[in-house]
Amino acid sequence: MTISDRSVPTMRTARSWRPGDLASPLWHALASLRLALTLIVTLAVLVFAGTLLDQAPPSVVSDPVAYEQWLGDAGAKYGAWAGTFDRLQLFNVFHSFYFRAVLGLLSTSIVVCTVSRWRGIWKTVFHTRVRATETFLTHARYNARIDTTMPAPETAERIRKSLSGAHYRVTSEGSAGSVALFADKNRLSRFGTFLTHLSLVLILVGAMAGGIWGFEDPRFTVAEGSTRELGLGTPLSVRLDEFADDYHADGSPRDYRGEVTLFDEGQPVKTSVLRVNSPVRYKGVAFHLSFFGQAAVMSVRDGSGREIFSGGVPLALQTRDGQRPVGSFDLPEQNLSVYVIGPRPGAADDRIRAGEVRMELYRDSVRVVSPVILSLREPMAVEGLTFTFEQESRFAGLKVVKDPGMNIIWVACAFMVAGLVMLFYLPRRRLWALCVERSDGGSEVLVGMPAQRDLSLTEEFDRLKARLARALELEPAHNESEGDLHG
Amino acid sequence: MADLSHYAFVAALTALVASLALTLLGAIDLRGLRSLSFATAPPAPTASAAMPGNSRQAAGRYSTILIVNAVVFLSASLALRAVESGHGPFSNMYEFSLAFAWGALVIYLYFEYRYHFRTLALFVVPVALALLGYATTVPDEIRPLVPALQNNLLLTVHVLVAVVAYGAFTVAFGAGVLYLVQRKNTVRWLPANTVLDEIGYKAVVVGFPMLALVLILGAIWAEIAWGSYWTWDPKETAALFTWLVYGGYLHARVMRGWRGDRSAIFLIVGFGATLFTYFGNLFFGGLHSYA
Repeated sequence: MTISDRSVPTMRTARSWRPGDLASPLWHALASLRLALTLIVTLAVLVFAGTLLDQAPPSVVSDPVAYEQWLGDAGAKYGAWAGTFDRLQLFNVFHSFYFRAVLGLLSTSIVVCTVSRWRGIWKTVFHTRVRATETFLTHARYNARIDTTMPAPETAERIRKSLSGAHYRVTSEGSAGSVALFADKNRLSRFGTFLTHLSLVLILVGAMAGGIWGFEDPRFTVAEGSTRELGLGTPLSVRLDEFADDYHADGSPRDYRGEVTLFDEGQPVKTSVLRVNSPVRYKGVAFHLSFFGQAAVMSVRDGSGREIFSGGVPLALQTRDGQRPVGSFDLPEQNLSVYVIGPRPGAADDRIRAGEVRMELYRDSVRVVSPVILSLREPMAVEGLTFTFEQESRFAGLKVVKDPGMNIIWVACAFMVAGLVMLFYLPRRRLWALCVERSDGGSEVLVGMPAQRDLSLTEEFDRLKARLARALELEPAHNESEGDLHG
Repeated sequence: MADLSHYAFVAALTALVASLALTLLGAIDLRGLRSLSFATAPPAPTASAAMPGNSRQAAGRYSTILIVNAVVFLSASLALRAVESGHGPFSNMYEFSLAFAWGALVIYLYFEYRYHFRTLALFVVPVALALLGYATTVPDEIRPLVPALQNNLLLTVHVLVAVVAYGAFTVAFGAGVLYLVQRKNTVRWLPANTVLDEIGYKAVVVGFPMLALVLILGAIWAEIAWGSYWTWDPKETAALFTWLVYGGYLHARVMRGWRGDRSAIFLIVGFGATLFTYFGNLFFGGLHSYA
């Protein structure tokens, strides 16, 4: 679209306000559209790279050993490039320093743009000049001249009514011989820009707030019938009352559900059924059902027959070969760690059969005795203790999250939507008119709408002209509007 | 019901093929007309010249009617599947492909109605046809929803908004390509480049906020189902990439020296990003693996 810059400077939207003291080159650079576009494109390129290349999961990044292993797998996929990609942090783009730098720069640019444009836009929105000059009107992108036989005040009044009927807000000023009108619609539209841009900054603020004041345990496991403390500085614990999974005839999952009871300082406070799409929330902490698996209910008695451990052990980890599920519990008095390994799921396992678990005991990371196989409900004495594999059971894996930044995120999203609607679906329209009385008692009306840089106003202007012609009981005598549709 | 849905799908496919054929015929006819008028220098013939013009208009009208038919059949096909499965028809690549084609055609029809301009069909209809063709190659049986998708409201709204956004970007793509063809306003059978620029912009004005909404609804859903509103999952990063490209377009378009050609290129890159987002789950895995 050709953009007309012919409108008289005094009436033009102030696009950039230059704050006197701050008019440094840096400020200008940060406020420039060119920088904004560069940053958007850079961000897009980085996001694209992060989409194309496998990204190491956060749990892997935080664990050097796991990351080495992950990098080995990546090497198989990316070959000789893997080392370069790793050095460039391309396997962790979204947490790299340069990604954060671009986000920081973009936020700065957004804030600077907002500050430097604020006053100009505020002025054009709330302090628009009502009286336009004749030159401005005859040179406006969309303009028309109408001659009537009515005197100026009546003409102006009719125009005012007509434009009000078209949902324009009309103000007028002037004397009997010359009345100026200014009409606009959706005048707050431009503030949609601010709302949209600030929502982006707010999203980053929300994400940072979540990172600083929130916590998460993506793999909190609890076995059926057991209660586990959440930890993470909370007085909460979780009991899994029951877990169930249903399948369709073709083997695809129908439903996973876990009934849990939450305890706050030991008191039961909430019982609810967790599903993938229905988490439970308590005091800002959300519990999401995330995964499940086998568990083994174990009991341990000491030499005197006293029970020193009883509960479900989630077999939520994998043995090193990735074949069998494994879980562990500690016996602090004996300074023992007990590892429980279940049979290989799906396939026949000749070393650990169904209804058996293999148990390994460690003290200070050193294996104490050779591994033993426990069969269901058959007590076995090891190291002066009696271990019993009481029954097979299941565990639920929960993702437990506290994210105080989330509400900021949702507010930001609401701002984003509101801003985009204001900006794109309720665009501002401005029209100036000047009614000047002629010597014959009639009057001449000049009407003009300045070009809007984003879209054509031909249709709107034609509609308004037709309205005005009806209101003034005539056809427009002179039409200088330049249509740019179907040109 | 699934059979009926399939018949409606085939009917839509047929209507689109016919529509594309008519559009192409119209274009060829138009060329013939122009070479004719060049050959016979004096612009005298009245009756003989009027004939091809009329038949071209008729071809255009019929191609539009066929597109309307295709939309009706696609709507029926999707609606029947929704009735049969009991959830929004958006749970796998087959349904999503139909829905994307539907979105592209609906947005196209709106722009045709608004700007009386049919040439865009040359871009939009082949895209829709390709999507329907792709749909025939993926499993189309109605399967129950996996637990992660069992949120009918969000499933329906999230994907419906997505196909409208994708459809708008398809139209914007057509406008962008035609803009580059018409950059010097030398092609007589196309509208002025200002009109093409405006169509592209208007389509992005539909698509960009819609894609923002897709991302927001996706974040809300991810928070509910997975406990985190953003996980840098490939599908969401691809959608973010697409959104950034169109954000770039909106900024480029108001910049001196970037109007016109360069912003039209954004529309083409943006459509590439849209397709990348759409097909991405097929090769990059992640949480969003179903569609």
